[in-house]
Amino acid sequence: MVELQNVSVTYSSGVDALNNVSLKINDGDFAFVVGSSGAGKSTMIKLLLKEIDATSGVVTVNGYNLGKLKKRKIPEFRRTLGFVFQDFRLIPSMTVYENIAFVLRVIDAPLKYIRKRVPYVISLVGLHSKTNSYPDELSGGEKQRVAIARALVNDPQLIIADEPTGNIDPELSYEIVELLKGINDQGTTILMVTHEHDLVRHFGGRIINITGGEIVFDEVITGAEQILPEEELAQAMSEAAAMANQNGIIIPDRRIMTPDGEYAGSDLNGGAGQ
Amino acid sequence: MKISGFKYLANQGIENIWKNKMMAFATFCVLLISLLLVGGSALFYFNMNSMILGLGNQNEIAVYLDPATEADRVKAIQTELGEMDNIDSVEYISKEEAYNRMQNQIQQGKAIFSYIDSYEFMPDGFKVTVVSNDRIEETTAAIGSIEEVESASSSPQVAEFLRELRKVVSVIAIAVIVALSAVSMIMISNTTKASVFARREEIQIMKYVGATNSFIRTPFFVEGMVTGFFAGAGAFFITWAVYRAIFRILMEQGTLMRAFGVGSIIPFDKIQLWVALAYLVVGALVGALGSVVSTRKHIDV
Repeated sequence: MVELQNVSVTYSSGVDALNNVSLKINDGDFAFVVGSSGAGKSTMIKLLLKEIDATSGVVTVNGYNLGKLKKRKIPEFRRTLGFVFQDFRLIPSMTVYENIAFVLRVIDAPLKYIRKRVPYVISLVGLHSKTNSYPDELSGGEKQRVAIARALVNDPQLIIADEPTGNIDPELSYEIVELLKGINDQGTTILMVTHEHDLVRHFGGRIINITGGEIVFDEVITGAEQILPEEELAQAMSEAAAMANQNGIIIPDRRIMTPDGEYAGSDLNGGAGQ
Repeated sequence: MKISGFKYLANQGIENIWKNKMMAFATFCVLLISLLLVGGSALFYFNMNSMILGLGNQNEIAVYLDPATEADRVKAIQTELGEMDNIDSVEYISKEEAYNRMQNQIQQGKAIFSYIDSYEFMPDGFKVTVVSNDRIEETTAAIGSIEEVESASSSPQVAEFLRELRKVVSVIAIAVIVALSAVSMIMISNTTKASVFARREEIQIMKYVGATNSFIRTPFFVEGMVTGFFAGAGAFFITWAVYRAIFRILMEQGTLMRAFGVGSIIPFDKIQLWVALAYLVVGALVGALGSVVSTRKHIDV
């Protein structure tokens, strides 16, 4: 579980990166965090990784109050997380197997367990044939799969994915999000930062929009392929439309549907934010 | 950390040398040069010291006894001198020998000896050499305190000069060694920093997946230690070859060079164990510490 209570972050340069942000992501949720560059997304991720501390407010991740977490306890805390970077960050001198097994080495897992768990995770991301390949021998999409396997291998409660599709071909992006969704279905909480509106529109779900260091939108929106009860859909769409007009985010390319099943208008987003 | 965990990390350290062979080679070279500079200077200093000490040992104490001393007593005194502290050798010079030497020395006034019919007026004497020239005055005084000894004299000026020379040589040598060590540390630190910098991302990834600082540092420690150990071994073999060559050349020189104390140069066989130990231990330690200290900057994420 992730909880931010009235969290503000002001850098030493005087820049207010986050301003009184409150947010709760429950166990098992899948949430997209969207927002333009400099909106505060990176700051939020740094906070959640305990790379930086909040200037004020309380940050709780997986039961750890990060403001009170002692330096020597940081490794223990980070072992409850999985992290997927935009630039993969695989260790080039290690094979796929070694890159993933490395996480279990860190937690001093028994060799027997490592030998069983790593191939399993590799097969989950569909890279069985690449077990002994080095990162340089993989495509962008494959590298990101390895990174996801690495994030997954120690069975974390929460996976934070920072622009995981930023460095790969658009068609492969869908596969990566599908993979993350699949992991989410098994009960792992996933927080995915992205600025790819097409993906968000396609998959829907909980969308948190950060703009200017504040959360300006936090709703569950259905994806184009998903069917929600009409009442909920109409409600969500109208709220999303209001937010879209205000903040320029893209919402699913759908029409408002009234509670009695009538379409209330034509395309809502009208290309907003594109 | 479990033993298997340490074994894994130590293996990682050794594998890293191969995987980052260019940087490892750079570190090896810098360590090798540094060890040779400092080690060479230290050996040069030890030999200078030994040579000065060797020169000092040529300094003697001339001991003259009361001419009336009985022959038995002379023998007893010789034994007594031989048993005294700081005495290297005692050579007996009889009245007769002293008389003959005097005759040889006074060439021009030989006529005077025609008036002397006996050498009995000459004192018995000893030529005494000391172990440590630094204590020659103390030893001279001790000999002088024997009842029958009429005079015991040395040239403390020579001893004093050699003492001063040793001091100056020591100060210069230590200054040079300290300066070279400092330069070496800077070179080593920069090289290891560059080596670690090249792998800063690796360190950051380790931090993100929850590695402790000791987990991250252990492979770097092993890597630095092994590189340093090999640099120490390299430095030893180079020193061994160069030292022996120089030693042989100097030993082949004539007596003139020996007069300057060349005979006191320490043979390599006598010090090779210590030189090897010093190179290997210092090399491994400096390599390991340099590597670990350089990770500090990148480990704080």
